[in-house]
Amino acid sequence: MESHDSTRTSFGLRAQAIALATRVDPGLANRSYTEGYLTQPLIMANGSVLGGHVGGVLTLDFEGLTLGRGQLNPGAYGEGYADRRHPHTYLHEAIVVASGALGRIGVSLAGGKGFVPFGTDDPMTRPFAAYPVNHHLAQILERYVAIAAVSAGPVTLEGALFNGDEPLSPGAPPEASRFGDSWAVRATVTRPSLLEIEGSFASVTSPELVSGGGRDQRKWSVGARLAKSLGFLDYALMEWARTDELVGDLQVSRFTSILAEGSTSPGGATVSARFENTTRPEEERLLDPFRFSRNPSDLGIIGITRWHIGTVAVSKPLPARRVDVAPFVEVTYAHPSEELSPSGFVPRDFYGTASIWSTSVGLRLGIGARAHRMGRYGAGMPNVRSPATRGDQHVH
Amino acid sequence: MAFTPRSFRGPLVTLVAAALAGCGSDSVTDANPPSGTPLPVIGHGETTVRYTAELWTRGTIAYTSTWGQRSPAAVGNAVSIWDVAGSTPVMVDSLIVENATTLGDIQVSDDGKLLVVATELANGSIVIYDLTNPLKPTRLTRYQTGNTSNGVHTAEVARVNGTLYAFLSIDPPTPRLVIVDLSDPRDPREVLVRNMGDPFVHDVFVRDGLLFTALWDNGVTIWDLGGGGKGGTPANPVQIGNVRTKPWSPGAGGSKAHNVWWFHDATGGANAKRFVFVGEEAPGSGSILNSSNGDIHVVDVSDMSAPREVAFYHVGGAGTHNFSVDEAQGILYAAYYNAGVRALDVRGDLSTCTATQKSSDGRCDLRKMGRELAVGLDGNVQAFIWGVHFDGSFLYASDMLSGIWKLGPASR
Repeated sequence: MESHDSTRTSFGLRAQAIALATRVDPGLANRSYTEGYLTQPLIMANGSVLGGHVGGVLTLDFEGLTLGRGQLNPGAYGEGYADRRHPHTYLHEAIVVASGALGRIGVSLAGGKGFVPFGTDDPMTRPFAAYPVNHHLAQILERYVAIAAVSAGPVTLEGALFNGDEPLSPGAPPEASRFGDSWAVRATVTRPSLLEIEGSFASVTSPELVSGGGRDQRKWSVGARLAKSLGFLDYALMEWARTDELVGDLQVSRFTSILAEGSTSPGGATVSARFENTTRPEEERLLDPFRFSRNPSDLGIIGITRWHIGTVAVSKPLPARRVDVAPFVEVTYAHPSEELSPSGFVPRDFYGTASIWSTSVGLRLGIGARAHRMGRYGAGMPNVRSPATRGDQHVH
Repeated sequence: MAFTPRSFRGPLVTLVAAALAGCGSDSVTDANPPSGTPLPVIGHGETTVRYTAELWTRGTIAYTSTWGQRSPAAVGNAVSIWDVAGSTPVMVDSLIVENATTLGDIQVSDDGKLLVVATELANGSIVIYDLTNPLKPTRLTRYQTGNTSNGVHTAEVARVNGTLYAFLSIDPPTPRLVIVDLSDPRDPREVLVRNMGDPFVHDVFVRDGLLFTALWDNGVTIWDLGGGGKGGTPANPVQIGNVRTKPWSPGAGGSKAHNVWWFHDATGGANAKRFVFVGEEAPGSGSILNSSNGDIHVVDVSDMSAPREVAFYHVGGAGTHNFSVDEAQGILYAAYYNAGVRALDVRGDLSTCTATQKSSDGRCDLRKMGRELAVGLDGNVQAFIWGVHFDGSFLYASDMLSGIWKLGPASR
């Protein structure tokens, strides 16, 4: 259950970041890379007024300052980065929400820049420092978005219009003229405080080519998330995602993902594990081999790579006043292989091996109250009753 | 409705089943079996270090560019120089273009003095070489400006009113045509920058003072550069007409106009300058090197202000790429990626055919008209043909996977 506020106005503020050192062996061409950075440096604020009927969330992400070259992350791709996770935009979320109720049906309208109601929770809110390969298959974020949501009993429905173009850089705003060229719907069924099952679809116009005219996407996602401890599991997520890319009305590529992850806490430490089987597109790399062209001039890709990845992370919160401190260790094994043959991208040739190990040590730091649940707004938030039906308010 | 962990078992099983089903292999396409006679293979100059891209020949020398990254150490920054005097092309030297990852286009000027190479993606430019010794090109300059830096996808070298120009098609996000005066090849001079194309301008063809631009989904536009009587110049092209060629499949979106050739039949006659061939490049169900789509379109330019598509040529499961035309014999050679090379008889009236030779939209189907003369590198070899060049005696084909092929010409 998300946090609630019984006063007529509420406000929450949190700052957090991960100090991270990562070694990837090999990063490419049989060469190992060791790097360190401050990743996911965020300031998150949320608040509500008018008895919770009007609220807002704001998330500022400073990765543009700390992760300009991207975070070493085998298999990660998107927004011009490959095998490094791209930095997010400075204005990660800025959403205003108006919420109310029609009888026992909660309703809300939300708008601003933020997450599209599609797929599962953002990897930033999950137990691993490394992103899964499927980030661009399973989430759509940092768009101008308008969302209508209704919730009735265990069912939540959301629909949204947004701009299809992906961010060009941390400081670049979405292309406002393209607002409304893409849409998404998501249905979530809950067993309150225990389990959520979501199914969603998105039609995304030319995400890579900001000027339009590029490949379009049709995206599906089904996910089941454990919202509270069940047996030895503190947390679990299982998802399937598929993205079909189209030129005109014809499908030219298909990318799929299945991912399962969970956490348990024996003896005060948190042990998390993730397995992923995801295909990703390959595009021509630039002089910096961790970057690729975002403007495929013939609308083609040069290959498809299947990534089998297993990750284990162990963290241990340390006692500290007012500040959250949790050191962790994370180990990932990745096995990439080409799906098509011949291929313009052969993983064994590019990386020098078909087995890639990645080891990270780091420190999760945070101060402030627990943040809002990133990516869900108003009545689209499962396990939370609308202000009027409950009689009190919830954060955004 | 009461939910229990047990009640979720069904949906979870469904989820798992759906997930496993979604992990099947992604599809690839198959080419239609060829119907023409085989083009004879004379020799194969094999190189598999890098992916080969475009080619150009002059005399007994061929130049091929390279593309992409076959490995981190083998990026597309090389120009290979081949001696093609014998049956088997022999690589005799190569050039490395520094700070480049893909060299898409390559061409020798009509006087044989210059070799112009395009560099794509970041650091977009053209590199100009002196060919006083064609086996040892010497670099004159690398022309790179803010207008080219996003990537020069194609660079066509052509003469207008006696002056040599390079026509550079620049990659998005701000697609544009840049025209550069090469009168002093050591100091190219930009004469035009014009945004065009949806979503990009891909290639051009220049002849007799006319410019044909392949504008992808905007089709082909004809411009006056001084030969069209509209007052146009290279510094100020004036639009004459436009045609949106039909996509290879009704659901395939726009024209995907990729390349152009305005055919001049050496035998003359009413149809001698009537037809323009337009290559359509559409992605296949997979990726480059294993799939492609797109037709050859025939456009009647009898009225340059109102060009119209009259015929097409289709190969199932494959798409065309660059052309070379034997204008003396009236034979179009088309690189056809995973379908090898196709040779078409393009002499005569391509707009007139019988009812059974027409498609449902009224265009003539060159295959049904019996215009397919020959096929090459299809079926028996694994090839992915980027470009072709007919030198008057032999046909050369660049194979992205394995280098350069020397083929005998098609015969009528």
